[in-house]
Amino acid sequence: MTASTNLKERARMHQPSKTAYPLSLPPKPKKKPLRKWALILVLLLVLAWAFSGSQFNFADLASGGPRMADMLSRSMPPDFSTLTDEKVYDFPPELKLHQLFLPVSLGTEQGEIKSRWWNNTFPQTILGATIQTIQMALTGTFLAVLFAFPLGFLAARNTSPHPLIYHTVKIIINFLRTIPDFAVGLILIAAIGLGPFAGTLALAFHTTTVLIKLFSESIENIDEGVVEAIEATGAHFVQIASFAVLPQVIPDFISFVLYRFETNIRAAAVLGLIGAGGIGLIMNSDFRMFQYPQAATSVLVLIVLVMFVDYTSARLRKMVL
Amino acid sequence: MAQPIIEVRDLKKGYGNGPLVLEDLSLSFHPGEFTTILGLSGSGKSTFLRCLNRLVEPSGGKIMIPSSILEKGEILEDEKPELDIVTLPLGPLRLWRRRVGMIFQQFNLAKRLSVLDNVLSGGLGGVNLFPSSLRLFSTPTREQAFRNLDRLGLLDRAYQRADTLSGGQQQRVAIARALMQKPRVILADEPVASLDPKLSVTILDILRRIAREDDISVIISLHTLELAKNYSDRIVGLSGGRIVFDGKPDRLEKEAIDRIYQPERARSHAPAL
Ligand SMILES: Nc1ncnc2c1ncn2[C@@H]1O[C@H](COP(=O)(O)OP(=O)(O)OP(=O)(O)O)[C@@H](O)[C@H]1O
Ligand SMILES: [Mg+2]
Repeated sequence: MTASTNLKERARMHQPSKTAYPLSLPPKPKKKPLRKWALILVLLLVLAWAFSGSQFNFADLASGGPRMADMLSRSMPPDFSTLTDEKVYDFPPELKLHQLFLPVSLGTEQGEIKSRWWNNTFPQTILGATIQTIQMALTGTFLAVLFAFPLGFLAARNTSPHPLIYHTVKIIINFLRTIPDFAVGLILIAAIGLGPFAGTLALAFHTTTVLIKLFSESIENIDEGVVEAIEATGAHFVQIASFAVLPQVIPDFISFVLYRFETNIRAAAVLGLIGAGGIGLIMNSDFRMFQYPQAATSVLVLIVLVMFVDYTSARLRKMVL
Repeated sequence: MAQPIIEVRDLKKGYGNGPLVLEDLSLSFHPGEFTTILGLSGSGKSTFLRCLNRLVEPSGGKIMIPSSILEKGEILEDEKPELDIVTLPLGPLRLWRRRVGMIFQQFNLAKRLSVLDNVLSGGLGGVNLFPSSLRLFSTPTREQAFRNLDRLGLLDRAYQRADTLSGGQQQRVAIARALMQKPRVILADEPVASLDPKLSVTILDILRRIAREDDISVIISLHTLELAKNYSDRIVGLSGGRIVFDGKPDRLEKEAIDRIYQPERARSHAPAL
């Protein structure tokens, strides 16, 4: 059918029919104004209850204001020497800078000094801690992708090999996802000790549960026709995933992973506050020791880092979509 | 006539607890024959075609095929001369699906993949699982894909993304994909319903030519009487899930046409859309 006959066809259909027949109109839905007001009232009551529970009061707000201003003024100007001063980095005198920074072969003793500096000294500096935070986020996100990728297919209604598997995975994941990452962090720190490893595992755990949900929802939204077409060729489950599902979901997946990496940078910083390494740890100890100018520097570095990661990942996501 | 390639006996299908959509269909299909299933929307055409490769599970009846047409090597325990598709486990069912190409109204290509990858996906049943899952294929397989593309006149489009092609071209890619299966049967569910009349003719010409040249049984569903009459060796009229006509197109006369196109029940007196 060409476009023009189509148009004519449509025009004809919209003309009043010659044999007019009586229409029985559907009843108009009745409005219920009372219900609306009752709903608003309930909402207001709930809000009032929430305010009282959170001990919201203007007096504290008024007295807290000046103290906050005081803290801000004491942290100005930020102490950038914690970033720029060479002494902060405590370079070992036994090693030349290129020996420290480049992968060159060293004697056993020098090698030990080098690894001690990288593992113990450098992460105590703001720059080192920031880099550690990025490493935690990267590792945690990567591990999560590793687990979430296959599990996402099992948790999607249309690609799961069996409804029982689908429901089981979905229920478990929905439950585990409710555990916040810092709660997982606290458990892991108790189990394997303070430091970035516990934080990284906590990120990996929580991100896995979130990515499985996002991945499986994306898989459930694909065009089923292609799946049917590949299935009809006698293809195997894995081949169907590769030819019919993956090409449709890959842009989504990349976008989700980048987004989670962004979130994990922030989450890794928060995990530092409970002792899991990275910039959060530095910030925490600076605040506790009232070293506000140093703390201000860590905050600024974190802001710059988050902005940079957000910007880059937004650009990358635009590229894949 | 030669031995049928598919023999359907008392096929029934109902979705869930709903009424039967197909009621005791019995008919056979032969190699090289171009059969059109003709019927109103909702008469059960798609359901019937999908039962033949079990994309839809039949509720009863048998679909017999000669077991000799399956590539052996797998699972086929006792060598019976005939197999019933309806009760086949997934393993041997895949062997049958390899022999059955399927063409869809919406083409159902993987849009973001290249034309070549789409054609290659037709051969998935017959190649190694792991390399093919990574979209790696042997040189002979790729050669075969190029030949099939050339046969459909699309060789120069091999590396283009599938969604950059026109509808008619996409349907030709879908046919090339089906040819990768070296099919003995091609099922085509309204393959021209999304195409303009000129392209419809092209696609149907191709399908009929393939049926003759490769001795494939082509089973196709169509809405329009005219196309069905022009192309078919045989027309099967469905109405309300029953066969109301089965014969050569020239025997399809007014009375038979009325039976096919007569609405099952009297509809409401509103103008039909
Ligand atoms: N997945 C399904 N679940 C429930 N009912 C279905 C399903 N698919 C089809 N049906 C019903 O089965 C009947 C036959 O549908 P079918 O799609 O086979 O008809 P068709 O002849 O292909 O129609 P069309 O020309 O519109 O494609 C219809 O009444 C339809 O509502
Ligand atoms: Mg249909």
